[in-house]
Amino acid sequence: MKLVTWSLATFHATVFVLAIVLFVYSRDALGAGLSGLNTFVGLGLFVALWATTYVTTSRALEGLDLIGSARDRSGYARRAFRWGAANGMAFLAVLGIVAVLVAVSNTRPGQVASGILFPGLFIAPIAFVVSAAVGGIVGAIFGIIDLGLFAVAGLTVGETEPTV
Amino acid sequence: MELDPHVLHVATRWLHVAAMATAFGGALTVLALSVRPNGGTAAAVLGVALRYEWMFWGAAGLLAMTGIGNLAAFGGALLGPATNWGTTLLLKLGSVLALVILSLPRTLAVARMSAQTRATAAGSVVTLRNLYGATASAFAVILAFAIWLAHG
Repeated sequence: MKLVTWSLATFHATVFVLAIVLFVYSRDALGAGLSGLNTFVGLGLFVALWATTYVTTSRALEGLDLIGSARDRSGYARRAFRWGAANGMAFLAVLGIVAVLVAVSNTRPGQVASGILFPGLFIAPIAFVVSAAVGGIVGAIFGIIDLGLFAVAGLTVGETEPTV
Repeated sequence: MELDPHVLHVATRWLHVAAMATAFGGALTVLALSVRPNGGTAAAVLGVALRYEWMFWGAAGLLAMTGIGNLAAFGGALLGPATNWGTTLLLKLGSVLALVILSLPRTLAVARMSAQTRATAAGSVVTLRNLYGATASAFAVILAFAIWLAHG
């Protein structure tokens, strides 16, 4: 595990959730939204998002030296978009598996196939496309924010590589 | 066996306080170490700062997770943003968001310093002092908001 990967993954997960909470609360809609959410499920969802974000961030940074190489930083935004889409799909897969397991446990055995599995198979491809699009957009936005924060830390994209 | 929601809320609150104590206390520790360093301790301060950054991001994730859990415990009784309490909560959430965003350059700067061969220079200790002074100050402001929200 690398510090840059750990910090970027946690940064993305926490800023994403905090920005949503801040926006929803400023519209006075948070109480209604949270009241329908079991605390245990809420904590579990955050852990799932944190985990999928860590896995996809570590894959996005594979082979990149963001601290030492300006060339690697210049290719980061494209990877952020691609792995953001993968994160959206991974998080949806976790949500989907949990939702299906809960639904199956609350359904009579004879109705599982017709009531849950077949509708699920029909909805899943559309949901994956939408989650990939949303994840890609969020990933691209974070890619731009990250590059701005790299620059604040003195790690710019445009600086020339030292020739040895 | 059903888990008592009250026990879960208390555990969530304790975890939130523990994460805040770790993040704030750690920033104060690095600041204290960097205030009066001598030549031999510069590398040690950077080493402590590097370990703190690992803990900070773990604590930041836990704070976000348990913070939302604490808000969920209010349910429909959560006061709106137009109230004094709500305005303070907005200020606290905004401060936390700003601290998390500005902590990424701090972590990158520390990682960069540790990667450089001459990281033990006195200049890096001054930089660390400024970075952790700002971080500790931001945590103090957030803590003041949190105390006001809990007891104000």
